[in-house]
Amino acid sequence: MVESQATVGPQEGLHARPAAQFVKTAKRFSSEIVVLKGERQANAKSSLKIMTLGARKGDTLTIRAEGDDAQEAVDALVELISPDEH
Amino acid sequence: MHTGSEPEPERERIAEDEVEAELARFGRAVEAVVGKLAQTGERLRAVGSETEAGIFDAHVELAEDPELASGVEERVRNLQSPEAAVLAVGEEYAAELAAVEEEYLAARADDVRDVAGQVAAELTGRGPAALEALETPSVVVARSLAPSDTARIPKGMALGFVTAEGSRTSHVSIMARSMGIPAVVGVGPALEGALNATTVAVNGTEGYAVTDPDEATVAEFERMSRTLAEARATLDEYRHVEARTRDGRRIEVAANLGSASEAEDALQWGAEGVGLFRTEFLFMEREELPSEEEQYEAYGAVARAFGEKPVIVRTLDVGGDKDLPGVDQPPEENPFLGWRGIRMSLDTPGLFEPQLRAILRAAVHGNLKVMFPMVVEVGELRAAKELLEGCRARLEGEGTEVGPVEVGVMIETPAAAICAAELAKESAFFSIGTNDLVQYTLAADRGNERLRRLQSAGHPAVLKLIRQTCEAAHEAGIPTGMCGEAAGDPELIPQFIALGVTELSMGAPAIPRAKKVVSET
Repeated sequence: MVESQATVGPQEGLHARPAAQFVKTAKRFSSEIVVLKGERQANAKSSLKIMTLGARKGDTLTIRAEGDDAQEAVDALVELISPDEH
Repeated sequence: MHTGSEPEPERERIAEDEVEAELARFGRAVEAVVGKLAQTGERLRAVGSETEAGIFDAHVELAEDPELASGVEERVRNLQSPEAAVLAVGEEYAAELAAVEEEYLAARADDVRDVAGQVAAELTGRGPAALEALETPSVVVARSLAPSDTARIPKGMALGFVTAEGSRTSHVSIMARSMGIPAVVGVGPALEGALNATTVAVNGTEGYAVTDPDEATVAEFERMSRTLAEARATLDEYRHVEARTRDGRRIEVAANLGSASEAEDALQWGAEGVGLFRTEFLFMEREELPSEEEQYEAYGAVARAFGEKPVIVRTLDVGGDKDLPGVDQPPEENPFLGWRGIRMSLDTPGLFEPQLRAILRAAVHGNLKVMFPMVVEVGELRAAKELLEGCRARLEGEGTEVGPVEVGVMIETPAAAICAAELAKESAFFSIGTNDLVQYTLAADRGNERLRRLQSAGHPAVLKLIRQTCEAAHEAGIPTGMCGEAAGDPELIPQFIALGVTELSMGAPAIPRAKKVVSET
């Protein structure tokens, strides 16, 4: 199992378009991926779950993956939601 | 008139030996819906409607959602019919989304209901509404309208929309705008009246509908509709032109923005930049002040949307008539003559500096400029610039990337116009805020209905101040923009241009008309 934390960067949090992008990215991997916000947990491949998670900008999320490409999946998703470095 | 209806499953329960077959049927229904949605999306994309196509991409995503499928499977295994199950699961998620305190996300509840309804309709073999069978051009009246509903209406058959639910940002509004169809949304219980009417007249410009109008009203609506259609056809040609006067002077026509979300709309109206980006929206109606980060995101979003086109960010201008969280604002007898704009900003660096830092950082993403409001003397400009440079130095010291930011002054007090020559030496541009300049010059409260006569930028005293401002700017080699309501006034634009104004900024829908006026000046 691979796990990493990230702070939500995009302006709208993980809503709507950012959520769609997130789910699309998650679906590229075969691993089971979950997103945790506090006690709430969401299937990273479900935009319904990701949207209802209500992650706002500045929230800290944990991304946990299990499977063959777990490390790549976590890296890709953490990079996607973290604030721009520039 | 046509009334949309909601799908209702006829069969609630299934038998135990039907479970596997029903699950397979659900899988096929999802596939069929996904196929239709994807097709509609492609069709829209092919005609260049990228925003609308995106709605259907998102719907494909929802229809295929693994959690929707597993929710349905669980219910079907408990012997609920798949059509009832998908509506129930959809409603669960919709209710959860609707409860989120965020307008955009709450509006997505309707998308979930829409998609679940389509899968249910596919399963029962009925369309959720007979919209595709619409044969006579009609006004569509419904509790709510989903994108798939509006997309299913044959071309030319919808004359208008009236819905009980919805807001400016809901899809029915977006679709109606892009289809050029008048819509009145969010009428609430008043929908009842429209449902019982045989004729409904819709005024989408002002947002009202008349049920069973009399002959005179019908004639009036027809007249308005013709005028609007003619005006729109002519004006549309001007949207994306670079406006030049007949003697060849280039006049930039830009938009005033009240929030970051208006950027895309403004570009579609043909905005060549943002002459006034009000930042108050970030500060109002909330518990605490926005962080530097939140401001950075908002300014950056607009900068990115406009690319190389200039975006003028006006620093906070809130008076004692509005509450700011976390700022001690004593009540004032004359808020318009009070502690506001640059006066408040210079006194509260804790409020001002995060805004300046956010602007400097966001400038990396586009062509941002900063403008200070309510300046009455050159000392204020110097102090503000000093703070700006301090912020720049600290950010650079922290290793944070910052962009170049030109500094300008809003000319909205007679004092600023009179001192324009001094201010011009230390500014990169001027922008005349006519609303306040008129009110302060003529000593006429802009909210006082009895003083309507004195609320015109065409008053000789105001025009003299505008002339003086333009001359001082010209002398110093800097441009003068204008960003009050008058900047979009077709009757005044020729005068402003004659006085030396080089950029006009207004509410985005006024842009095509302003460009036309400029081209004829």
